[in-house]
Amino acid sequence: MKKLVIAFLMLALVLSFTFAQSASESADKEIELKFVTWWTGADTKGPYVEQIVKAFNEEHAGKIHVTLEGTNDADGIFTQIMTQLGAGNPPDIFSVKPQADFYGYYDSNLLMDFAEDLKGDWGKQFAEGIVASTTINGATKSLPYEMAYVPIWYNMEILNAVGIEKVPETMEEFWAMCEKVTEAGYYATAQMTGGTNAWFSMLWYTSICGSLAGAGAFDNIKNDWATNPVYVQAAEILCKMVREYTTPDVIGATAAVANSHFKGGETAAYLNGPWWIGNLDAAAQEHTEMAFFPAINYKDVLIGSVQSNLAAANQKDPAKRAAVIEFLRYFTTAQNAQLVSNAGSVLAVKYEPLADSAKLNKDLQARINEASGFIPYWENCIGTADVVAEFGQALSAMIQGAITPAQFVAQIASVM
Amino acid sequence: MSRNLSAGKINRNWKGILLFLLPALVLYGLFFIYPIVTVVFTSFTDWMNFKSMNFVGFKNYINLFKNPTFLKAIRNNFIWAMVLAFVQVPIALSMALVLARKPKGWKLFRTVYFLPTVISGSALAMMWKAIYNPTNGVLNAILGLFGANQGINWLGDMDTALVAVLVQQVFYFGYFMVIIFASRLGIDDTMYEAAMIDGANTWQQEIHVTLPMLKPVLVTAITLAMAYGFRHFESTYLLTGGGPNHVTETMGTFLYTKLSSAKWAEGNSIGTTIILLGGIMISVIRSLLSRERAVKARKGGAA
Amino acid sequence: MIAQNKLTVPGIIAKVFKWFFLIFFLMFMVLPLVWLIISAFKTNQEFNLKSPFSLPEVWQFVNFKNALTISNLPRMFLHSIIVAIATTALNLVVAAMSAFALSREKFRGNNLILTFLLSGVLIPIIALMVPIMKINNFLKLYDTLGALILTYTAINLPVSIFLIHGFMSTIPRELEESATIDGCTFLQRFTKIIFPLTKPGLVTAGTLVFIYCWNEFTYAMILTISEKARTIQLGIKYFQTEFFVDYTGMLAAIVITMLPTIIVYTFMHDRIISGMTAGAVKG
Repeated sequence: MKKLVIAFLMLALVLSFTFAQSASESADKEIELKFVTWWTGADTKGPYVEQIVKAFNEEHAGKIHVTLEGTNDADGIFTQIMTQLGAGNPPDIFSVKPQADFYGYYDSNLLMDFAEDLKGDWGKQFAEGIVASTTINGATKSLPYEMAYVPIWYNMEILNAVGIEKVPETMEEFWAMCEKVTEAGYYATAQMTGGTNAWFSMLWYTSICGSLAGAGAFDNIKNDWATNPVYVQAAEILCKMVREYTTPDVIGATAAVANSHFKGGETAAYLNGPWWIGNLDAAAQEHTEMAFFPAINYKDVLIGSVQSNLAAANQKDPAKRAAVIEFLRYFTTAQNAQLVSNAGSVLAVKYEPLADSAKLNKDLQARINEASGFIPYWENCIGTADVVAEFGQALSAMIQGAITPAQFVAQIASVM
Repeated sequence: MSRNLSAGKINRNWKGILLFLLPALVLYGLFFIYPIVTVVFTSFTDWMNFKSMNFVGFKNYINLFKNPTFLKAIRNNFIWAMVLAFVQVPIALSMALVLARKPKGWKLFRTVYFLPTVISGSALAMMWKAIYNPTNGVLNAILGLFGANQGINWLGDMDTALVAVLVQQVFYFGYFMVIIFASRLGIDDTMYEAAMIDGANTWQQEIHVTLPMLKPVLVTAITLAMAYGFRHFESTYLLTGGGPNHVTETMGTFLYTKLSSAKWAEGNSIGTTIILLGGIMISVIRSLLSRERAVKARKGGAA
Repeated sequence: MIAQNKLTVPGIIAKVFKWFFLIFFLMFMVLPLVWLIISAFKTNQEFNLKSPFSLPEVWQFVNFKNALTISNLPRMFLHSIIVAIATTALNLVVAAMSAFALSREKFRGNNLILTFLLSGVLIPIIALMVPIMKINNFLKLYDTLGALILTYTAINLPVSIFLIHGFMSTIPRELEESATIDGCTFLQRFTKIIFPLTKPGLVTAGTLVFIYCWNEFTYAMILTISEKARTIQLGIKYFQTEFFVDYTGMLAAIVITMLPTIIVYTFMHDRIISGMTAGAVKG
């Protein structure tokens, strides 16, 4: 009997403790907003985002208060946000990835629609035409925030060592480079099939498609994936790359592995977005060149995709809604965007690039300016997470010779 | 609370019974009934994201069973259930019996064997992912010491992946071993002494004395092992994500992929299937085992 | 000793086999952990590229310092302890009460309810993510320790009831019958007789529940968002950002989260095992 009582007492204690914590937060007249994101803690953008929120709270003391919540575990936070969306209860403001399963919620009325608000000055804060990429059927229920521009990164030291002076500009030159580099004992390209996420390989695939069919290669992909021969052609090129010209641990490799190979000076051709520039020290940056993927039918096409978005829960209370818009406008000013770009990110907001940016940042900006067109990520265009996961699955089969490139495309089609 | 003083009969105390069952039933109602009813009900719709739901009958199930990936997954779950129940449990049994004879250092062995159970599954999976790494993983490095390192990508090669994933789990038999061990220690030494006097050696003693008395705990272990096999998700997901090319896919990983795509109805049909298949399998095995027990009991009674 | 193996050829072979497997499994369990601990002292480049047998060039104690400070591990540790203890207590009480009602009272529908409760063992918990999230939102428990306590208690009920019911079934009815004759009430039967005698079952089930709470990750991740409710397994995820995984930092965090359980277990295992063994043969 005593044990029972003790157990119940303990439980009551703990529950009251936890309940009390949540109760103490209501009461003020201040509007409380929760901003759930992975741009906190150890994330490179963390300190800057925290700074922005703090400044906002100071400016709006007594009227609006924004609390940052989350850890830097992007996958975990994203899963949680998606689960909350599934339960019909999204956070007040949150960061999110431009994936098909998220965009599926545009159809519901869980998300705040910014289309009207953007028609004024706010819309001018964003780069030309960028907001169209997060607008579906006239509804802008999320804002583009971080952009991904992904050129090919060549380690010129390795290329020079095998007698190549400039970056490959045609496929013949590219394959020749791969051959020479492999013979000399290096890895030609960085790839991965990592479990369900074949991120680098998907980037290569996107680059190839851009070179084959231009920036609009994926415009109709949901309808013609199974039938358009371009996708099989691209798969054939990718197949050659991963079968012959990459690291032996490619199947099941994660990004960290591929990154380490490049950072360790073992890989000749690599690709990643602006956020990774900070990982190479100045010396390494000196001998790295950023270039377009070799031109097959189209020159100078660059991967340019939305990397992450900002969204908000739909609010019925007009005061609360206004507060959310107030914060988002503040977050997306040129000044704050420039602040965040210190983390090495490139943003969808219009801002002055930092004067003292690293060599590769300048290289990248040059490529962005020269690009003839931008092609979005394959995985943002093709559909939901299960289809994207199928890429990695089918890729491991294709690498091991179990299926042909045509079957590769068909296998992915079967999940769509 | 009523009392009945008539000898041999305990009066039913309905109030008490209900009161005692209430907490469990309430928790069940909230965390199992409501979710499962939702899951089963929506599996007959086309529900995705937050769109409206339309009733579609058995379409999701028909598509499921036509899906080659799902069939691979079912096959893998059967393999998991069988391997855990009929490889891991027997290993646990053998080691429990060996340790029950108290060889030198048996306490150390028992402690170490149970150790992995207190470590989180994700930590173990991370560890093994690095161990299986083809270029600088521990396994290939050890093989290299014997000159047998072929740089095999254990988790990436379609031929080795499933075995690699199974091996990672199957040799962590500590939990079952400890349960069986506990039961085994409860068997009176006198029974063994009697057997020894009858001339039985260790092997015969285990078969004729130990096994019959361990029957109940073995059935428990096998049931739990099979249930786990049918539900299996975590270590496979962390090691291979279900790949390469779905060779290690289980119904659990397949379910997770669908739920991550906000395809609730499809995912829920998988969840329902897991419950049904698991339930059928376990009932079949349990009735087989208890029939054996009933037959033996009859034989024993008659003898 | 119970049996002496004669010094025959089969006897020796059996002995060799026995010791081979004992040592093999010992290595299997221990060596990866040793490797894990050593790797936690490496840098990420070393970890990713160099041989696994290599020792770190410079022992990176900073990994451990980071693990302790960056993720506020001590606070999460406290949360995990609270959740584990509260859940175990609640779960055992509820399970024992149900098992008692079902095993000692043979009423109509008894078996049905039992099967019903036990079938929970088959449920793939991952499938119930969204509904369970809804329930916790509804109960206003989101982002509290209470969410974890209640959810974990419920999730572990099937197995606990299964184990405790099994133990209770083997307690002879005569004990209760004589107690009733002596004037024992329903409640007293439970608290004074059955509950104490089921200790082995309780210890077995309780150990399992405690370990589950300590190691659980998925629901801890989904049901909590702020510092005030995070448990220790989430600490490991601090070492993973959107574009970068600090593997060696993560390993250090894993080692630290493992240590308390290993230490507690090493000192408690004797009591745990004797708790599991006390009494007659149970199944």
